[in-house]
Amino acid sequence: MSRNVTVSGVKLEIEEKGQGRPILFLHPGEGLQAGRSWFDKLAESHRVIAPHHPGFDGSVLPDWMGTVDDLAYLYLDLAAELKLENAVLAGACFGGWVAAEMAVRNTNRFAGLLLAAPLGIKAGGVLDRDITDMHAISRAEFMRRAWADPSKGEIDYTKLPDTELAGIVRGRETLAIFGWKPYMHNPRLKRWLHRIDIPTHLIWGEQDGIVSTAYGEAWKAEIPGATMETIPNAGHYPHWEQPDGFASRTLAFTARL
Amino acid sequence: MRTWYFSEMAYHPAWDKGIARGSLRVNFPSENLDPREAGTLLNRYLDEFALCDEVGMDIMVNEHHSTATCMTVSVPMALSIIARETKKARLLSLGNPIANRPDPVRVAEEMAWLDCLSGGRIEMGLVKGAPYEIAPANSNPGRLMRRYWEAHDLIIKALSTSTGPFSWEGEFYQYRAVNIWPRPIQQPTPPIWMTGMSVDTGIAAAERGHVVGTLLSGGLAKPMFQAYRKRARELGWEAGPDRMAYAAIIGVGNTREEGLRRADTIADYVRTAPVVYEPFTNPPGYNSVGANVAMLKAGPRAHRMITDRNGVAIDHRTATVEQFMDTETVFAGTPDDVFNQLKAFNQRMGGVGHLLFFGQGGQMSHQDAKANISLFGKEVAPRLLELGMPEQVAAE
Repeated sequence: MSRNVTVSGVKLEIEEKGQGRPILFLHPGEGLQAGRSWFDKLAESHRVIAPHHPGFDGSVLPDWMGTVDDLAYLYLDLAAELKLENAVLAGACFGGWVAAEMAVRNTNRFAGLLLAAPLGIKAGGVLDRDITDMHAISRAEFMRRAWADPSKGEIDYTKLPDTELAGIVRGRETLAIFGWKPYMHNPRLKRWLHRIDIPTHLIWGEQDGIVSTAYGEAWKAEIPGATMETIPNAGHYPHWEQPDGFASRTLAFTARL
Repeated sequence: MRTWYFSEMAYHPAWDKGIARGSLRVNFPSENLDPREAGTLLNRYLDEFALCDEVGMDIMVNEHHSTATCMTVSVPMALSIIARETKKARLLSLGNPIANRPDPVRVAEEMAWLDCLSGGRIEMGLVKGAPYEIAPANSNPGRLMRRYWEAHDLIIKALSTSTGPFSWEGEFYQYRAVNIWPRPIQQPTPPIWMTGMSVDTGIAAAERGHVVGTLLSGGLAKPMFQAYRKRARELGWEAGPDRMAYAAIIGVGNTREEGLRRADTIADYVRTAPVVYEPFTNPPGYNSVGANVAMLKAGPRAHRMITDRNGVAIDHRTATVEQFMDTETVFAGTPDDVFNQLKAFNQRMGGVGHLLFFGQGGQMSHQDAKANISLFGKEVAPRLLELGMPEQVAAE
């Protein structure tokens, strides 16, 4: 299921499964976590292609790479390398930011854009915190905000092998490299969202305490024709917390493309 | 062994409230500080620095931000006052947290300006900074040391170039015309110091010939000093004690009890300094992958411990002054006691040329602080100057 490809000189570890319309899925700041059931459920009706971001798990972060722009161009190159046509570009949390940066540049290989609680834009004023400062709260507080039911998200790190822990640690530093300042957003991205010229659907967990549904409305307002729906009993990671609801909504969206 | 007195100019009147909230740093609101009281304390601390010059000791200043533990927000600002109030003391900035400074050329300018003002008495520490300094500076903890080294190289080039301007187009910093005025008296640069707690820091400092300093744990200092000497030897030179520095709490008194009482008061600083809200203690990228893996494996309830000379774990937050003496965090007693403790420490470490004398933890009265400085300056510091390389290290 997992394989390595080299794109633009960057070694990427990619998870791939299923048949049907391809979905290029870009993962959250907390990692890909393909072992959770969301991945198999999406793969029941789609060919799911999910790279680990450079710096996460088996993907290598080159010294020269350090901005979300770099990731956008890298994954546009990946889509070309894989010869994707009429694919769905999907991203959750940090991955939603990357997907949007790709979509404002070039949508030629994609039929639709699916964003689950994306980070990446500045909606409010200078004193408004649109995106929770995940690095200024305790892990327990983060879990309470990111999950409707935090017990579903708990990971016992003391039980994981060192190699996996090292991958998690490197991923955390990588997220900081890409998103520390300005915090998890590009101040100019909102100005370019009008360029997105493919059907766009936003999915939001109703209990998301990292970015609110009001923040989602700001995204919807900037992308021509965008639609949005919420998922009950889900926090910031609806695909992890409500995998069935997420898969069915994804299928409903891709069916109308 | 030279002695450098330092104090963090703490705002101790707010400590109880900060400890009750579980954080003295970053998220402890400044409404807990009375600005007039802060002014009184700052003047008092500066008087204590000035006294060091009179008793023949050197002076060190450091800085922290958003904290009740240290009101020094700018090393150059404090040193510029101290430079005017002193005549002989060498003045150590330890230091500028250069990876958190957006403008390294400004750092070079300030150090050169201070070197001119003080008649060439500046020593220049270029430090990584503590993990909880990341949030107040909002500097990216990812690739922190890469940014540190670029700033380090740029500062040295700015200080040592007198035929400028030169341009700098680096990964993190870009300038088109670097040409600092004034330039430093000490050429090519004032002596450079680094700080750290690891073997890697010892090696990195040895490769550049910088002084390396560490603090409050002999158990961590020794392997770092050994790594420094070994790397220097590989590079074809012998690193003497003048390349090694160690910060410790010192309490001297006319009796052993008086010395221990003073050290115990200062040690409250070590007991309270780690009280900081957990998310600010380990920003991603600040510590190595290996250290972070170990922390995840240890689980959320683990906290930092230090070990004594026999490898016994000691909790910083509750340790007695005697336990701190076993970890070489504290040296205390009569002048003879303290001299003998430091002589033995120098022997164990293989030669330490610089003692960073932590002599004011905040709660200590002005009278006690002055007595501690005067007694140490008169009775201990002159004898330490005669300590050199211990015999067994010279013979290694």
